Amino acid sequence: MTEFPPRVDPHFDIEEYDPEADLMALNMGPQHPSTHGVMRIKLFLDGETIVKAVPYPGYLHRGVEKLCEKLTYVQITPIFDKHDYVAPMTNEQAINLAFEKLLGLEVPLRARVLRTILAELQRIASHLLWLGTFTLDIGGTIGGGASMMMYTFREREMILDLFEALTGCRFHYNTHCPGGNRHDVPEGWETVVKAVLDAIEPRFDEYEALCDNDIFLVRTEGIGVLPPDLALELGQTGPVLRASGVDHDLRRDAPYHAYDLVDVRVAVDDGCDSLARYKVRVAEMRESVRLVRLLLPMLPQGPIVGSKPIKSLIQFKAAAGQVYVGMETPRGELGTYLIGGGDQRGAAPYRCKIRPPSLHAMAALPYLLPGHFLSDVVTVLGSLDPIMGEVDR
Amino acid sequence: MSSRVGLNWIWQSAKAMIVTGKHLFEPRTTEGLRPAESRAPRYRASFALVHNEHGEEACIGCKLCEKICPSDVITVVGGPKELSEATGKKRGTCTDFVLDLQACIICELCVQVCPVDAILMVREQEVPGYSREDLVLTMDKLYANEHDKALYWGSGSALMEMQNPKKEASS
Ligand code: SF4
Ligand code: SF4
Repeated sequence: MTEFPPRVDPHFDIEEYDPEADLMALNMGPQHPSTHGVMRIKLFLDGETIVKAVPYPGYLHRGVEKLCEKLTYVQITPIFDKHDYVAPMTNEQAINLAFEKLLGLEVPLRARVLRTILAELQRIASHLLWLGTFTLDIGGTIGGGASMMMYTFREREMILDLFEALTGCRFHYNTHCPGGNRHDVPEGWETVVKAVLDAIEPRFDEYEALCDNDIFLVRTEGIGVLPPDLALELGQTGPVLRASGVDHDLRRDAPYHAYDLVDVRVAVDDGCDSLARYKVRVAEMRESVRLVRLLLPMLPQGPIVGSKPIKSLIQFKAAAGQVYVGMETPRGELGTYLIGGGDQRGAAPYRCKIRPPSLHAMAALPYLLPGHFLSDVVTVLGSLDPIMGEVDR
Repeated sequence: MSSRVGLNWIWQSAKAMIVTGKHLFEPRTTEGLRPAESRAPRYRASFALVHNEHGEEACIGCKLCEKICPSDVITVVGGPKELSEATGKKRGTCTDFVLDLQACIICELCVQVCPVDAILMVREQEVPGYSREDLVLTMDKLYANEHDKALYWGSGSALMEMQNPKKEASS
């Protein structure tokens, strides 16, 4: 059993801190290059050491939940692309899973397998972007910092090209609809996917070589230790939770899409620190490659939409009812809570609540930062991988 | 923390240089803005209004696209019904059509709902303009795009065909 440092009280009154100390309040952000969006952290520093940290989200609020009350079921999917702008594909799937549950729609097997493949490809793309920006954040020291980002973006570009061939867009695809997918696989797509996976997989060895780079280890090992009990208390999900040694993954524990057809190996690490979170994410990328390889030959023939394709604004009408659907996005459990419109609101939902995994990751910051140096803020923040668009919606 | 001392760093630096050196001989990573021809066939970026097979402006002013647009960027002004010379039937017309690209989210829903395949997407990306008006696609610009820019593969009926191929089997 590893020893964890004593838990800090994030709410303690800064006035009660040693009056002799040379305290300084420092605002990090809102426009800081390493905050993955616009977010402000108010830091109280004693010398170089952080005493208290208060995150202030809200700079990227776009009112997605309110907008959902105005738009109809058909129109919401493209809006949902926008809140986690690093993994739009899984966002779309999350809201469409909720629609399907509320409206009682069947999804054909072909669409389900295709969605699983897209979700796993999106996971690789999202983790690649994370890896590039994380190493860029923690230092110009690691091979110049920027070169790692060039490498990961090159691989990510390949996956975006796959998405472009399938949906026509590099981002914000709008390729799902209630009851299925809007775009079928173009001819020869599977072979290109295989070629891309073959090109990407050997590169993971290069990323893992970071693990025996002293500079990288010193910057990440023991930084931002999140004990499993605290992680559970704060509602962490996804790689952050699994890096704290809790074996929990919705893909395996509550399968959706076609995850029941494959055996998902969940990467868990009980290091609890930034290094563990890095290890879990790289292991997840490997696992995603394996899953896509397994699923590609399983893609059956058949229709891709279970219901009628979208042809009008008010095509889907749901009775009043409420559903909650959780889905494992690259960042963790993206929950969608939806109340159907009933008779008065017809084709628009009454309420839509999003439970973003990034918001919960942010909640860990006041616990993780105190005691560390100022330069460790970007390490901790980067390893939690919050996307501000998703935090604020 | 930094208890790792020794000559380990030589091996580590060498390893980093090996990776870097390997990539020296690989193709370039960065590319400029790619021309439309090298894009995927489904690539969608901007819009065009098209003529139908009889040479008439295909849009019938039904306003379905205006209604479904999530960002409310399309404005359609329907015209009076006119007798079509080619088919001899009455059909709706459209006197004005404005699509404001500034807020368009390229969701393809307007293309999908159009009953007569009048609005299509083009594969060429819209270039930045010097004023806001440059990004507002008026009817003239949209009809000019039909000839000036590369149209993409799809249309409302092509998307339907892809999503609901059952009809083909039954006929
Ligand atoms: S593609 Fe643009 S114009 Fe068409 S419906 Fe979507 S937002 Fe509106
Ligand atoms: S473009 Fe199509 S959907 Fe829009 S008004 Fe014209 S005919 Fe109707």
